[in-house]
Amino acid sequence: MKTDDLILQLAHDAAPVRLLPSPAKRTALWLAVGLPYIALIVFMMSPRADLTERLAEPRFLVEAGMALATAMAAAFAAFSAVVPGRPRWLLLLPVLPLSVWLGSLGQGCLDILLRASPFVLGWDWVCIPAITIAGAVPALAMLLMLRRGAPLYPCATVALGALAATALGGFGLRLFHPQDASLMVLVWQFGTVALLTALAGCSGRRILVWPRLKLS
Amino acid sequence: MKAGTDRHVRFAALMRSTQQGDQTAYALLLREITPIVRGAIWKRRGSMLQPSDVEDLVQDVLLSVHTARATYAPARPFMPWLMAIIHNRLADSARREFRRKGNEVLVETIPETFSPAGTNIKEEPYRDSEALRNAIHRLPKGQRESIELLKLRELSLKEASVESGMSIGALKVAVHRAIKSLRVTLRKSGT
Repeated sequence: MKTDDLILQLAHDAAPVRLLPSPAKRTALWLAVGLPYIALIVFMMSPRADLTERLAEPRFLVEAGMALATAMAAAFAAFSAVVPGRPRWLLLLPVLPLSVWLGSLGQGCLDILLRASPFVLGWDWVCIPAITIAGAVPALAMLLMLRRGAPLYPCATVALGALAATALGGFGLRLFHPQDASLMVLVWQFGTVALLTALAGCSGRRILVWPRLKLS
Repeated sequence: MKAGTDRHVRFAALMRSTQQGDQTAYALLLREITPIVRGAIWKRRGSMLQPSDVEDLVQDVLLSVHTARATYAPARPFMPWLMAIIHNRLADSARREFRRKGNEVLVETIPETFSPAGTNIKEEPYRDSEALRNAIHRLPKGQRESIELLKLRELSLKEASVESGMSIGALKVAVHRAIKSLRVTLRKSGT
């Protein structure tokens, strides 16, 4: 087909479009879907018995808060990544809260080491399905929203979307799963978030593709 | 510089009209950005591409612009939006090319036959047509006729049967015997 003919066909197919809201608005919309779902999951699983005491602990607040901040930053970065012309450094936005989250967990492990207490690393498989279930609806909402954008960096975008959904799931998990040992949280909760993010990122090119147009 | 800025402002205005469904503005915008897209592709990958490949890429970019037109925010500049799409499509094309080349095997001479042994007979083909013609001429009438019909004129068994009046079975037997005789005769004559 000649380029001039293609232009005529595209112009002929140019129906009015609904503009994509800004990444900030889309992040707020995503949280409006994700947070009530997390609240529902916490309510269904029943909040941990010591939640009130935990909420008074700075470390718990930092860890849970940074999980939520990571989710928000990753969501904003993912929504920015599907808008052509937005600065690429926005993709690195979740690095800061993620580092604080990881640093806080690392500091907890270091404290155990300095106190010469034995490292206790048991099996806590429940984290994997729990974070997957808690992150499922946010992940689905994220996927549907990302598909409305342009798949410029599909692997990074899907990884960021998965990070947002799993970090939100991890935040919910802290509210109903009584597990506070830094090493356990690092390996099982943070590990699950990292694993699911990596797996999603690897399949990014299959999940986000430029759609094939059917011209009339 | 001023002309460039004016043009970018004009593109942004045309894009806004496009998003509201103005087909004329859209056609105008696509026509005006096509040389920019083509130029950007030539600049970045022109030395590695055939002109037809460049045009395919231009069309690829235009299709992507069409798909992504809802992502353009009217308050933002148009050119960074367009250039991001161009760079993305160029990177995708380079990735496809790299993958395609990874699956190719370069050979100096392209083999003329298939790889199975049956298609690679090392014996020289028979070339003395005069001796062959004489040998056919010396065959018994039925065998000669079957060779002429089936091998020289390349008729089907049914057609040869109609023309010669021989049955299909008789033709098969005759041609088999004829080839056997020819092989013996030609081997004896050393050709």
